[in-house]
Amino acid sequence: MRHDFDSKPLFVERMKLLLGNEFENYIEYVSKPDLKSIRANTLKISAEELKKTLEEKGWNIKQPFKKNPEIMIVDLELLPGELGRSLEHILGYYYVQEIASMLPVIALNPKPGENVLDLCASPGSKTTQIAMMMKNQGLIIANDVKLDRIKILASNLERCGVMNQIITRCDGINLCEKFSRMNISFDKILLDAPCSGEGTIRSTPRTLQSWNINKIYSLSNLQKKLLRSALKILKIGGEIVYSTCTHAPEENEEVIDSVLRELKNVKTEKIVLPVKCNPGLISWKENKYSKELKKSCRIYPHLSNTEGFFIAKLRKMK
Amino acid sequence: MIQQKFTPLNVMNEKEKKELLKKLGEQFGIKEIPGIILSRGKERMFLFSGNISEEKLKKIEKEIVIERAGIYFARIDEHTGKIRLSIEGSQMLKDQIKKNIYEISTKDDFEKWMQGQDLQISTGKREFLIMKYKDNLVGTGKASEQKISNYIPKNRRLKHKQN
Repeated sequence: MRHDFDSKPLFVERMKLLLGNEFENYIEYVSKPDLKSIRANTLKISAEELKKTLEEKGWNIKQPFKKNPEIMIVDLELLPGELGRSLEHILGYYYVQEIASMLPVIALNPKPGENVLDLCASPGSKTTQIAMMMKNQGLIIANDVKLDRIKILASNLERCGVMNQIITRCDGINLCEKFSRMNISFDKILLDAPCSGEGTIRSTPRTLQSWNINKIYSLSNLQKKLLRSALKILKIGGEIVYSTCTHAPEENEEVIDSVLRELKNVKTEKIVLPVKCNPGLISWKENKYSKELKKSCRIYPHLSNTEGFFIAKLRKMK
Repeated sequence: MIQQKFTPLNVMNEKEKKELLKKLGEQFGIKEIPGIILSRGKERMFLFSGNISEEKLKKIEKEIVIERAGIYFARIDEHTGKIRLSIEGSQMLKDQIKKNIYEISTKDDFEKWMQGQDLQISTGKREFLIMKYKDNLVGTGKASEQKISNYIPKNRRLKHKQN
């Protein structure tokens, strides 16, 4: 067992409540080593060329999704950090990214020419994926609040050749207020919100050690404020993807439900993903959520051998 | 209004861009720059393809800290006044680069180059050369009598021998 679940009985109790008879399966997968996944950076190289180059090095490459050839699994025993030290990584031909973390941008489906805001962008995995789908055309505002995180973001965007981006440094809520005052709005927004990270315990067991229910409540408040702020600067007809790498309903369905109750011009959208997922919850403990939440996606490690994520897509109506 | 801690972004005007393009053409055969050129300070230039007017960019900059826009693609060498393309600059303009290319012939030399070592080779040139290995363009080196000097930044260097 890679995790000390005994030290976090409340976490276990909550996951049992969330998963019911899937719980044992979840524990089995979360205790396995994570898959080594990468995403070809098609701004610099095609998926086919990258696959060929890596196979010539002796790496065994699998492409699990026909419609997303850029998503690859490196099926090989590698030393820790080896994926990030290869020549192809240094040259920006791929990004080391967990498959579940690629899904919010697939749900957002940014297109060349659109104006896109990535509100909490560091370290840049999703920003580089957005730029790739936009073929470096249109505009990406990639924001984060902390300078040290922005340095990593800038370095990753540069390595991947992202030319259509502006990196801003601002508190997310404040940034939205400022754009709103300047009458600047966006076709699409990604809000990959800061979260308690329950979905990442497979690759990062220390997340479990720092797990704390009060942190979940406090993050939930922040996430609601961020989502409300972001919706103000979304164009009419525009779409926002809200995602977290956690399973806690307070940080997921409760956040979406709060804006659906408050804003009558916001609707949920169906999401099509290349992996299996469970529908969002419509109740948690004593709380009842909008039935629209069924359209959101709960990604658990045992469903498609990934990490955990939550994704919801909203559209702003007139 | 907030106080910027660094110098504002400078958008290269048409005249400056023409001069830059002339140099890029003379040095490497480049005929077109796919975006606008931004700079902050004297030497480093950023290539930006974002769909936003200069006016709107300036408006945002007055209110919000802009850390970066576009990618660092080239710099002007302070001694010679010539252009040095970065790794990304050479990769993003790959299809247009027609001259002053040095093809690294062995995997061993390529790895040395990517480790940040100079190549002890006499090319007969005293120019900035685009370094190429197979299909990979990896920035610029400076050829002198006996060697090609390396400009691979520390954070982009290979630290281990590859398979």
